[in-house]
Amino acid sequence: MSLLWLRVAVVLYGIAALAVLPAALYDRPRWRHIAVPAALAGVFFHFVSIVETLVAAHRALPVDTHETLSWLGLLLVVAFLLLAARAHTVSFGIFLLPVAALLAIVPAFHPGHETLSYPQLRTGWLLLHIALLLAAYAALFISLIASLLYLIQERRLKQKLSAPASRLPPLETLDQIALKSLLFGLPCMTAGLLIGSVVALQTMGPSFFADPKVLLSLAMWIVYMLMIFIRRHRGLRGRRAVYWSGFVFLGVLAVWAANSLSAVHRFKTP
Amino acid sequence: MSTNSNPNLLLLGVNHTTAPVEVRERLAIPSDRLADATRTLAHQPGIREALILSTCNRVELLTVHESNGAHATSAPDGSATPGTEMLRFLQDYLDVRVTDIQPHVYEFRERDAIRHLFRVASSLDSMVIGEPQILGQVKQSWSVAREVGAIKSTEACSSTLDPLLQRAFSVAKRVRTETQIGSTTVSIASVASELARKIFGSLAGKTVLIVGAGKMSDLTARHLIQQGATTLLVSNRTEAGAEAIADSLRTPAITTGVIPFEQLHEQSFRADIIITGTGSANHVFLPEQARALLQRRRNRPVFFIDIAVPRDVDPAVNSVEGCFVYDIDDLQQVAAQNQSARSREAEAAESIVTKEVARYTDRLAQAPATESIKQLLHDAETLRLQEVARITQQLSGQPLSPEQLAAIDRLTKSLTAKLLHPQIAALRETGSSSESKD
Repeated sequence: MSLLWLRVAVVLYGIAALAVLPAALYDRPRWRHIAVPAALAGVFFHFVSIVETLVAAHRALPVDTHETLSWLGLLLVVAFLLLAARAHTVSFGIFLLPVAALLAIVPAFHPGHETLSYPQLRTGWLLLHIALLLAAYAALFISLIASLLYLIQERRLKQKLSAPASRLPPLETLDQIALKSLLFGLPCMTAGLLIGSVVALQTMGPSFFADPKVLLSLAMWIVYMLMIFIRRHRGLRGRRAVYWSGFVFLGVLAVWAANSLSAVHRFKTP
Repeated sequence: MSTNSNPNLLLLGVNHTTAPVEVRERLAIPSDRLADATRTLAHQPGIREALILSTCNRVELLTVHESNGAHATSAPDGSATPGTEMLRFLQDYLDVRVTDIQPHVYEFRERDAIRHLFRVASSLDSMVIGEPQILGQVKQSWSVAREVGAIKSTEACSSTLDPLLQRAFSVAKRVRTETQIGSTTVSIASVASELARKIFGSLAGKTVLIVGAGKMSDLTARHLIQQGATTLLVSNRTEAGAEAIADSLRTPAITTGVIPFEQLHEQSFRADIIITGTGSANHVFLPEQARALLQRRRNRPVFFIDIAVPRDVDPAVNSVEGCFVYDIDDLQQVAAQNQSARSREAEAAESIVTKEVARYTDRLAQAPATESIKQLLHDAETLRLQEVARITQQLSGQPLSPEQLAAIDRLTKSLTAKLLHPQIAALRETGSSSESKD
């Protein structure tokens, strides 16, 4: 049954992703009334699906890559809804909703069968580690999108074009969203990495810190910090902000990909 | 259209397309005289209800005439028609000659008057299509007419204008909601203000710098202040001139200041929006100055509105990241794009108005039949209840159970409905056919 709800959520995300295009790009605000409720309903079914899965399996943690990505998808749609409510913009949905649908579509139609390498890690702390890092990834992704939208809006204003992108948020709003997302993501990432490190230290000892995944994570955290510092003190905006956000995002993808290189931090197929 | 369905609705007026400003200004009724004018018009012989709409672009009189009597419709014997009576009202009240205004006056009756009113309220008949003020002005006229008793409902006779005006408001709202007719701005000052909002979002707390003096700079600055800008700086070649501009724009909510012209480049980083309108033959802002300005602003964007000809801001400044330069041609181009977008939306709005006029006139045509049907149903129900009471009394020796009473009730209701059905259908048919004949 949980798979059925997840499939319903994927369909609803798909509808929302399509409806958001005319609302955000073609100045047809009425489509917003389809995109937002569809996304909201999708979040509801997605959440129900996750809860059912966890309850049925008597656990509180995602046990495979697909399931974890599906959680990230849920967070992205929640972020879209928050932005629609607080910043009165659905423009972020152009990117967030299709990505969320893609992240949820794989576990909906092809559930994974991996497990944690160390079943003894199944603690509340690990749940917090995963949730915080997913929140940090989502925040970074939103910051990247805000920077991209900034670039698009800036180009349109400089080229003196009107019409289609007129529903994009103002530059200052986009800049604020980008910065606030980063500021939200930093404590999440810091706490997530700290918790993960402490749990790993207790379970596996100091050898864990020589793992490529862990080293890449630390490097990513330093770049993340550096980006916030530059943004705040040098007023990083526009093209350079996109380059920085893109660079850090690539770092995140590298860290994620490093799961396959890691001897300890990975799911394994039974 | 039948005169019974909506008796003697007449709209007479002039607007920007039919009358030059010299005529319109003679017919304009100032807001402090509107109540008196409406009251006077409503007291003219034969007029049951009246409303006057007077704006800078139009003066219109909307009246409902008595459906019976000498003043009802055009008089074949050559006596005054309602239209000429209303022209005479204008002549007497405003001291203008009928012969001077008659060539400019349009007159709409019944369905055409409804259509015109819906178009006016929806801003389809405005000089700037889609401008939002007209709806407020129509509402104001309606409110004044109600206050002075020129729109009235009595026991014997319900108001014609009141539901018509309320329908016009809902049509205007529908047009605004379902089309994009009012979503873009078309004046230079409002385009500049809209662009500023695209850069800064809210203009609350923003600083505007006016460089040089000029009517357009002044107008644009006022617009930006209306949108929330709170600090105004002025820089001019003569300091007295700068002081004069600052004084003219100063309000309790605005902080103003003067920047000596020789310090312009050192101080301009304080402004988020710079409006330039000097008479300088050379550029006042060059790319290197714009870069220095941005550096001091920590790359916070700056918006140059260059209204000067020749231009004050080097076009190359627009390529500096964080600087947005719009000259007068750019602003006019955006205004023209917005205007053409509005014209496209106007077609959709016209279609909504056409449908709404049809709906409204259909409803009016059905109104007499609806009244007859209501009366018939009421009479039949009274008779049924009397008969049920009579039979219950006759059987008082053998009291009926609640189930039996309910069965009698159902039976009589069913019989009444079946007997009345052909008559109700015929009444509805009569209403529809009289409308279609018209």
